[in-house]
Amino acid sequence: MKPVQLLGILLLLAALCGCGGERRDPSDLGEILTEYGNDTAAEKGDWLMLQMPAEMPHLNPLTSSDYYASTVLDWVFDTLLDRDQVTMDNIPNAAKSWDISDDHLTYTFHLRDDVKFSDGVPMTAHDVKFSFDKVMDPKVDAPYLRNYFVDITGCEVLDDYTVRFTCNKPYYRHLVMIGGLYVLPRHIYGEGDFNNHPNNRAPVGSGKYALESWETGQRITLVRNPHYWGSAEKGWPYFEKIVYAIIPDDNTAFQVLSRGDLDFMSMPPDLFVRRANTPRFREQFNRFAYYRPAYNYIGWNLRKPMFKDRETRLALAMLLDRELLRDEIYYGQAVIISGNFMPGTPEHNAALQPVLFDPDRARTLLAEAGWGDEDGNGILDRDGAPFHFDAATTNQNPLAEKVLTIFKEELARAGIDMTIRPMEWASLLERVDKREFDAILMGWSMPPDPDPYQVWHSSQVDAGSNYVGFVNGESDRVIEEARVSFDRDTRIALYHRFQEILHEEQPYLFLLAPKVLAAGDKRLHGIRVYPFGIDQREWFVPKAMQRYGG
Amino acid sequence: MRAYIIRRLLLIIPTFIGISMLTFALIQLAPGSPIALKLQGMDGAMQADAATQDIIEQTKALYGLDKPIPVQYGLWLGRLVRLDFGNSMKDQRPVMDKIGEALPVTLMFNLLSLFLVYLISIPVGVYSATHPGTKRDSALTVFLFILYSMPTFWVAMLLILFLGGGEYLDWFPIHGLQSGDATSLSWFARLLDRLWHMAMPLFCMTYGGLALLSRYMRAGMLDVLRQDYIRTARAYGFSERTVVWKYTMRNSLIAIVTLLGGLLPALIGGSIIIETIFSIPGMGRLAFEAVLSRDYPLIMGEVTIASLLTLAGLLLSDLLYVAVDPRIKLG
Repeated sequence: MKPVQLLGILLLLAALCGCGGERRDPSDLGEILTEYGNDTAAEKGDWLMLQMPAEMPHLNPLTSSDYYASTVLDWVFDTLLDRDQVTMDNIPNAAKSWDISDDHLTYTFHLRDDVKFSDGVPMTAHDVKFSFDKVMDPKVDAPYLRNYFVDITGCEVLDDYTVRFTCNKPYYRHLVMIGGLYVLPRHIYGEGDFNNHPNNRAPVGSGKYALESWETGQRITLVRNPHYWGSAEKGWPYFEKIVYAIIPDDNTAFQVLSRGDLDFMSMPPDLFVRRANTPRFREQFNRFAYYRPAYNYIGWNLRKPMFKDRETRLALAMLLDRELLRDEIYYGQAVIISGNFMPGTPEHNAALQPVLFDPDRARTLLAEAGWGDEDGNGILDRDGAPFHFDAATTNQNPLAEKVLTIFKEELARAGIDMTIRPMEWASLLERVDKREFDAILMGWSMPPDPDPYQVWHSSQVDAGSNYVGFVNGESDRVIEEARVSFDRDTRIALYHRFQEILHEEQPYLFLLAPKVLAAGDKRLHGIRVYPFGIDQREWFVPKAMQRYGG
Repeated sequence: MRAYIIRRLLLIIPTFIGISMLTFALIQLAPGSPIALKLQGMDGAMQADAATQDIIEQTKALYGLDKPIPVQYGLWLGRLVRLDFGNSMKDQRPVMDKIGEALPVTLMFNLLSLFLVYLISIPVGVYSATHPGTKRDSALTVFLFILYSMPTFWVAMLLILFLGGGEYLDWFPIHGLQSGDATSLSWFARLLDRLWHMAMPLFCMTYGGLALLSRYMRAGMLDVLRQDYIRTARAYGFSERTVVWKYTMRNSLIAIVTLLGGLLPALIGGSIIIETIFSIPGMGRLAFEAVLSRDYPLIMGEVTIASLLTLAGLLLSDLLYVAVDPRIKLG
């Protein structure tokens, strides 16, 4: 046939690709569940097929700082304590009880006597001490973890099932940190070079699952730990196997999910709204949305002249329509925040009203702050300097650039010139570390009850995480007092006052806490959406619907 | 001739030192440090607790990053001579192990892709050269150029969408090299399973090269067909078939055979795009992630292999010229 005809057919094919399936109204998100399959008793069996977007370098629980490694490590290793999904209280895990001295400097843990590693060897207090000693050893590549334990000076074994930690300063988070330490088997990790240990690719722990195989770049298979101590409250490992398929690309992973080779995956908003919303998809899958303790923000470098005064910062906050961001970019699946504590926690100060989008009021505020247009070029200036700044962010997140683009337009209307600078993560990190930025759009991921010290205390301005340079005497005092307040209600009151200060001063333009959007095969039962996520340990598949395994 | 080869081989050493020195300096000077990345995570949201200065210094010392750059380079070169490429900073595994896992995968893909490209391009090029200007030749040309202009990531997405299950056809698997339960199959079934997984990524890697190579073949052959000795062969009464395949082919192959030498370094370079989309653990992903996490030993290991192969490939290319065309003399 003639080349022209061929071209025509090809173009037609290309056009057809755009159709397929019904056009959905983006505001119609379809049914999103908060729980599923909790009315039947849990049953054992079947495999859980999950996606892993990036392969972790290794699975050494102490030297790893990789997020995806921690999801696997949580299955393979036990910690001394656990946290209740709803109240965030510390609850027993490998330790069945604990005592705290009155001065909060000594923590004594009583271990269960029935915990066994996956090779059958029982866990004792010696394993706990071994794990702690390894963290504190400067030759062990665990700087991230060691930083948490700087004020915990000693660990001694009192008997086979009792271990005592001593601290040289009282700090309310010591209990959580010690409770969150993974317990390693001394008889396996005690031999050999710890940093380069052969078991870094074949970890052995006492958790619900043991590693069966790790095919590099392809998949990681966990198998039920036959020696897991399990109990009615703790639950059992229900699945026979958990398989993580390493699929970096979201679209590929979604395809694998739709054909039934994955059971559960989280996805970006546009996939969730467009492709996970067809009737055919919803026949086979349930859809969930849940928060993680994480939020996004724009940080103003307070050392720069244009950001020095709070009126200007407040005006900038009024120039960003966060409701628009929430609805357009996140399809409503996010919450606007005004402080560093997650909504839904008692620490969050719900009395604070978020700054509203108000461009007129913003213009007035800017004029009051001394901004005018002396040279008539349409850009505000003050003391001879034009209002221009760079906003740096990562180039890996398309949503970040969308947010900044929307902001840039509104700022331009008010006479402020912002340049968006997406950059490679390592470069961004370096700029942030050296405090060489005007404004940054980044995010924090944290435990559900964070200590604001590292990000907000004045001592952290030069070398810590207080990148913006926030210095406020009252805020410092409040943070310091909270660190040694062991009564949660006292801390809550202090943190409420802290958030009031942040709200007045506006060192950050707090943005949103987005929900994780996920879909799961209807086989999966026992799913519950908690304030900060889902707990895969509770999931199971009823016998009649099981698909894999013997 | 022998002297020429020896001279070229010896020249490789200073060239390589220059390449590696430049690379070493450049990656150290790039913004960002592997220590910071280790401490603050790679996934875009920072952990809300920072490390103290002491701990950063400790970690630097652990990795030898506290020494001045020339000293570090000297140490690296010294280890390299003993064939010790060091350990990856990310997971402490020997660099050779990591490359040894990724390289065979990439080689397998590239060799197969190369073979297929040559297999298809040569007959296509010959046909085009022997029927120049016909409608079929034009159609073929247009078709090949359309193929060439389609971006690989787009084609990959289309293939996954239409042939990878889900809403449409389910002909091929779309991720990985092997099915999960492949270990229980016989070696032949496993081979088939492997090829079945490789089909789509292989297609993505191959279609683009068809246009290039067939054009080379066509041009080379047209050039030869115009020569006087071909006219002479026809005058002798040989069939067109003999003229083309016996007399023209060999000389037309000069262009593409010598291409082979230059392709040697390309054999070990994986495509990061295809590897990410299809979850293939190859050299592309390894190199890309090494750069992102500033994993200096791994980067240097890859650069070493790539540069040595390039230099060897250039030498091979020059030698092939001589082998294929007796008119050329070296030295």
